[in-house]
Amino acid sequence: MAKTYDYLFKLLLIGDSGVGKTCLLFRFSEDAFNTTFISTIGIDFKIRTIELDGKKIKLQIWDTAGQERFRTITTAYYRGAMGIMLVYDITNEKSFDNIKNWIRNIEEHASSDVERMILGNKCDMNEKRQVSKEKGEKLAIDYGIKFLETSAKSSINVEEAFFTLARDIMTKLNRKMNDNSSSGAGGPVKITENRSKKSSFFRCTLL
Amino acid sequence: PGPAQEPRSPCCLVCAQGRNLKAVLCQRCSSRGVMCVLPQLLLPAMRKKAVAAGSGGSGGDVVREHWLVRDMFSFENVGFTRDVGNVKFLVCADCEAGPIGWHCLDDKESFYVALERVAHE
Repeated sequence: MAKTYDYLFKLLLIGDSGVGKTCLLFRFSEDAFNTTFISTIGIDFKIRTIELDGKKIKLQIWDTAGQERFRTITTAYYRGAMGIMLVYDITNEKSFDNIKNWIRNIEEHASSDVERMILGNKCDMNEKRQVSKEKGEKLAIDYGIKFLETSAKSSINVEEAFFTLARDIMTKLNRKMNDNSSSGAGGPVKITENRSKKSSFFRCTLL
Repeated sequence: PGPAQEPRSPCCLVCAQGRNLKAVLCQRCSSRGVMCVLPQLLLPAMRKKAVAAGSGGSGGDVVREHWLVRDMFSFENVGFTRDVGNVKFLVCADCEAGPIGWHCLDDKESFYVALERVAHE
């Protein structure tokens, strides 16, 4: 069967437990079904399809499965990741302070050219806010990372966050491709053709 | 899940090549365009839907008719649960209704979507 998409990106959600990672990504719908059966097992990852600039992009988005509690997020989890959402809770200062530790963890374990984005989640709970928006923005600027405040509950900026990250990954890939072709490595290569279909179940490395 | 319905006759769902004629959607929140599967083969599969955890063992339906999806990335939107034995269950990516199908880790190229647990339009 012909491939029906142009790009495939593996994305991860990282951050302290309780910051709303699972809701952020995993529940685009308010009206969740939530059977005991499904919530007992838990969701591992989701595949979502978006369109950017007329390109069809498959996002495979992974949750940490609570491993963050034990700080056991290691290379295996990061393997093949092309984008990482660093999530904190604006009502929990500790989770914000820990973003620096998560960035260090990413630098140790993830690919060096992974796209990152910082999200201040639960921005619907302004009355309990402990971290100002300016503080979040400053941290992001310090690290040269994009920043958004989100609310999974009120669906604020959630889609926008994923679109932004996907766009940044796509831009980076296109730039790489142009660099390669201009350095005489041959004509443009369609990224998806490099993906080995057979071995891609838990990885979706493009390059 | 209500009582098992008689699945619709496959003839109105598949083309001559055995692929789906209609989009496959979540039964609950179909308006959100949940799960459009690209052309797939329809295969009957005699497998018990392993509704394992927390249902006392006997819950669930024996689902015979499935869409067979060969590449997980041909799903538009779908969620995968964590492993239950060597099975991952499929759920609606938006509302998490499910299981709507399953995937056995022993066969990396087979993803089954139960006909009676999705809507077709």
